[in-house]
Amino acid sequence: MAPTTPRDIPPIPARAGIGLRFPHHQAVLEAPPNVAFVEVHTENYMGGGSPIRYLDAVRRDFPISLHGVGLSLGSAEGLDPIHLDRVRQVAERVEPALVSEHVAWSVGGGDYLADLLPLPMTEEALDVICRNVDHMQNVLGCTILVENPSTYVQFRHSTIPEWEFMAAVAARTGCGILCDINNIFVSAKNHGWNAAAYVARLPSASIGEIHVAGHSTRELPDGTTLRIDDHGSRVIEDVWSLYALALRLFGPVPTLIEWDTDVPSLDVLVDEARHADALIAVAINGTSRADAA
Amino acid sequence: MGQAVPTLLEVQTAMRHKLLECGDPAFVGVLADALMPADRLNIYRNTSRSTLTKALRLNFPAVERLVGEDFFAAAADSFITREPPRTAWLDLYGEGFPKFLQGFEPARTLVYLPDVARLECAVSRALHAGDPELLEIARLTGINAYDRAHICFSTHPSVSLLSSPYPVDAIWRAVLAANDAAMRAIDLGAGVVHLLIERREDEVAVTRLDEPQWTFAAALFSGEALAVALEACGDPDATSWLAAHLAAGHFTGFAFEGALSGKAPRS
Repeated sequence: MAPTTPRDIPPIPARAGIGLRFPHHQAVLEAPPNVAFVEVHTENYMGGGSPIRYLDAVRRDFPISLHGVGLSLGSAEGLDPIHLDRVRQVAERVEPALVSEHVAWSVGGGDYLADLLPLPMTEEALDVICRNVDHMQNVLGCTILVENPSTYVQFRHSTIPEWEFMAAVAARTGCGILCDINNIFVSAKNHGWNAAAYVARLPSASIGEIHVAGHSTRELPDGTTLRIDDHGSRVIEDVWSLYALALRLFGPVPTLIEWDTDVPSLDVLVDEARHADALIAVAINGTSRADAA
Repeated sequence: MGQAVPTLLEVQTAMRHKLLECGDPAFVGVLADALMPADRLNIYRNTSRSTLTKALRLNFPAVERLVGEDFFAAAADSFITREPPRTAWLDLYGEGFPKFLQGFEPARTLVYLPDVARLECAVSRALHAGDPELLEIARLTGINAYDRAHICFSTHPSVSLLSSPYPVDAIWRAVLAANDAAMRAIDLGAGVVHLLIERREDEVAVTRLDEPQWTFAAALFSGEALAVALEACGDPDATSWLAAHLAAGHFTGFAFEGALSGKAPRS
């Protein structure tokens, strides 16, 4: 079953959208670009004043996807009820077509650690995240999407492959999966996984959105090369190829161009979105969701 | 492995201690066995520090310009370890930064720095405060003189007051405008400033009040009854100041003193 959208909001069409950041607020209002949707970080709109009023205006032109970065679905100590309530309030005001969060944790002992930290892939962590996803979905009154992480470390005591972990969260909670193609590419390179096999093992019916982004590489003192998921450049060709594979397997899916550091001009984001749209068109003509399996 | 498998809470506690550098070895020891490779945890540590430092930069731009990027980064790093945010909503992160700067030895000679930081906290609160309904002035008509004296107002969350022995408003403006001439013209010994900070449309306004106006506003904003505020400032013009506060939308509601203290309100 495909994930449902919140409170009967029309679903986002299977085309490309862009991440909306503050430098582009005015430009997007004055000359709305030809993209299917915009995605914003929920935490940027939790106060009053001009940011949330701006979003009120933007959503007249675009469906909104609310992408949270701070709820910490992987926290063993559960969710911060105050933060969850802030998420609820933003969602009620913005009426997003999609709500998403991460398979990661960022809060411990009440401290917010300001990064999407890795989880051991264990039955215990699976229980924790499913409990927290259930909690979030109950409070918001809709299903959410959860995004696969990009990671730089693995835990020796992990027992579940990450793709199985993602599938299990979706199966147990009814949530959808936000498949971040760049994250799969980055983690596969960092840990020696097969990225194409990872994509192929995800449950295609649960995929509610795709993210693509740029990443960087860093040479470590031990001579290894690490891929860093910094969202600060164009999508590389290898990631576009993995994306094309994902579209063949999943069928056309709303796709976000994510760019968070060294944010370029709006034209560059729209250009990346055009490229994603072209690959979606190929997928629509070449295959369909029904025969993808 | 030969080791007991750590629980998720043990792993998260260890990583938190490691990232915040308050690591009790007993906690973080679990990571050496659990992580492959353990030294890559620094990548997360660096991202975390850089995100939180950026949040402080956004909230304290004048402080950063006054002390320079490197000094600010060092102060931020020390502050983050001591007071990590307690929420992922970072728009107000750093409420404890002014007090931290007050005790930060390298900043001791910049005596006005903590108060500039206090002003920037007030500016952030004004910018990001919620949007509650404003008090409709018409609701105050027809209230008799006795009840009027016992009105206690609820202040709009964007509005606050600050006083400082230094002209921190002038410093704040000059440094953000990169106006060196204005900075040179500032007289640190010019006397106490009393400031009203509020959001007007999309901008934050910082205005100077004289001492009686400030005393009156401080009493009203802290929920004192109108009669108490009038008496505190001892100025016959104060009723016109009240009208100005009402017109500026500084209040969201009111109650009568008796109601607040649990007594039955008079009608």
